[in-house]
Amino acid sequence: MFKDLDPILHSQLRLAVISLLISVKEAEFTFLKEKTNSTAGNLSVQITKLKDAGYVDVTKQFKDNYPQTICKITPKGIDAFDIYVKNLQEYLKSPLS
Amino acid sequence: MTEKERPMSEQESLALITEMIQKAKSHFHENGTSAILWGSVIGFCGIFSFLRHLFDWNTGYFDIWYLALIALIPQLFIAIRERKRRVVKTHMEAAIDAVWTVYGISIFALMFYLNVVPSISEGFFAADNTELLIKNLATGEARHWKAITFSQSSLLLILYAIPTMVTGIAKKFKPMIIGGIICYVFFIASCFTTVTYDWLLNGLAGIFNWLIPGLILRNKYNKAKLAQHV
Repeated sequence: MFKDLDPILHSQLRLAVISLLISVKEAEFTFLKEKTNSTAGNLSVQITKLKDAGYVDVTKQFKDNYPQTICKITPKGIDAFDIYVKNLQEYLKSPLS
Repeated sequence: MTEKERPMSEQESLALITEMIQKAKSHFHENGTSAILWGSVIGFCGIFSFLRHLFDWNTGYFDIWYLALIALIPQLFIAIRERKRRVVKTHMEAAIDAVWTVYGISIFALMFYLNVVPSISEGFFAADNTELLIKNLATGEARHWKAITFSQSSLLLILYAIPTMVTGIAKKFKPMIIGGIICYVFFIASCFTTVTYDWLLNGLAGIFNWLIPGLILRNKYNKAKLAQHV
């Protein structure tokens, strides 16, 4: 019996963001935007969804008088990503996939 | 990525995860400025000290190693600029930064030790009504011997090797691994050489440990920057 993939993570942009954040300690919004090749608006919406789910921490501050958004994956986000990858591997191992 | 997303297959999810992890890993921002600065300063000071000892130059009260203290000022500016420019911090970078910070503290702790312990030791000897003497075996003359730590440069060389090797191994950056190995070789050599040649080894260690790897990093950084703009 396959477990459902986490709907929060099973979205292209949100999964891309979490995959980037799992590899780093923290990243600026501009870095995530550049690497995911997304628009600022869409990325902002998806980060908010990840934040609401408790998967990422978002810190807003000012750097040289410009707003700066720093994102960091939370322990809950790491667990969720871990489970997501394990479930994904189960799907891929199954003969039906 | 587009606003409207189509459903992803499991294979696509896995491919996306792999792609993003690779992208995070391949982000290159190390420009080698600090390595070039310290490699130049230590290289220059070491070679200058070697020449000064070799040719008996009189530099008065000025110690060329004060330059290493002065170099802290540009280093501070470099660190601030790097922090401002950095858009991502990896776990490895955080760990390597910590290693270099501890190294900096340790260098100053060692300097403190080398400057303080001899005079404190002499004080202890004096308190016991004793003193260190050195005897000339040819003339039989004995005179006061100022307590010193022998081959101080060897201790510096061990310390130089630690953060360099850690960075090289962690980042799989061969020039720094080679620099670290050279430093250990210099350390062994310095145990058998006079103070004059210890300074030369110290200067060369600065060049192999930091200046050359720093220049290689700068070259890589410039190439990566150029590729981004093409």
